[in-house]
Amino acid sequence: MKDNHLKKSIWVFHLNTGSCNGCDIEILDALTPYFDVERFGIKLVASPRHADVVLLTGPITVKTLPMVINALKAVPRPRYVLAIGACAVGGGIWYDTYSVIGGVKEFKKILEEHGVEIDKIVYVPGCPARPEAIIYGVALLLGLVKEKVSKEVVIIGEGSHH
Amino acid sequence: MSLKKLLKPFKLLSIAKKAGVVTVLYPYQKPLITSEFRGKIVIDASKCMGCGACANVCPPNALSITETEESVILNYFVGRCIFCGMCADVCPVGAIRVSNEFELATTNIDNLNTVLVHKLKGCVDCGKPFITSRMLENVLKKVPFAEKYINECPDCRRKRFINIVSARKR
Repeated sequence: MKDNHLKKSIWVFHLNTGSCNGCDIEILDALTPYFDVERFGIKLVASPRHADVVLLTGPITVKTLPMVINALKAVPRPRYVLAIGACAVGGGIWYDTYSVIGGVKEFKKILEEHGVEIDKIVYVPGCPARPEAIIYGVALLLGLVKEKVSKEVVIIGEGSHH
Repeated sequence: MSLKKLLKPFKLLSIAKKAGVVTVLYPYQKPLITSEFRGKIVIDASKCMGCGACANVCPPNALSITETEESVILNYFVGRCIFCGMCADVCPVGAIRVSNEFELATTNIDNLNTVLVHKLKGCVDCGKPFITSRMLENVLKKVPFAEKYINECPDCRRKRFINIVSARKR
């Protein structure tokens, strides 16, 4: 499925929400000539007002929450967010800590209260996510690759009998 | 402007040619994956017995065990997994294998779940489900003399023990 809004070069804004800088270094790695993301027209911009996609890293700490909401408010619609790393996707090892929101899932509810809508979120797991995994996430957003993962449910055993 | 300055870009061209192209055209080309790289874990459903050793050791609780009356549910949420590989080390039956799969990006967070539902086996006396059949096999393999009481649930075992002891007193 090709998105109409992403026909041209996509500009990305790097938003650190209290991450350990592991994923941030991997993002910088993806921008180097070795991976050369400018093949897809991806360019890092300094302001969320210029961005098409937000690269969100970190578990969203309570301290950064107001700034994150402001930054996401500034992004023009349609808003695309790439949640990078275990922390951004599900809270990582901080998922139940007192000082973090704990991943995008809970964060989305808070955004709804503030009236900020996110049109599409691509979850990129990994601790840290490899540069290839980040590129794969962007390629998924662009419709270049297909999703590989799907929910699996396996039922083992024949139930209780006596 | 001197001729030397004008020729500078051409000099760069020769240097660039010597260095070659380093770019990996990733989605169209194979990425560099070393043998040490740890990715998503793969749980072998034909070996897993639902003991919960992996859920006990998992630092971010990506693997979690939920016990209901009828079943034991092992849920693996790869979105929170930090790929430490500790679960593969502790698994007593070697059901967990660390693969090098990292292309896990998805637009739906539910796709990141893997669920293993172990149906529980019932007690021979009262019929209350209490153990997975694979766990039972595994216990019998290690403790053969448990055969006498392994099919009874802990409550029934306790009752039987009390009955024996009280009979002894008289």
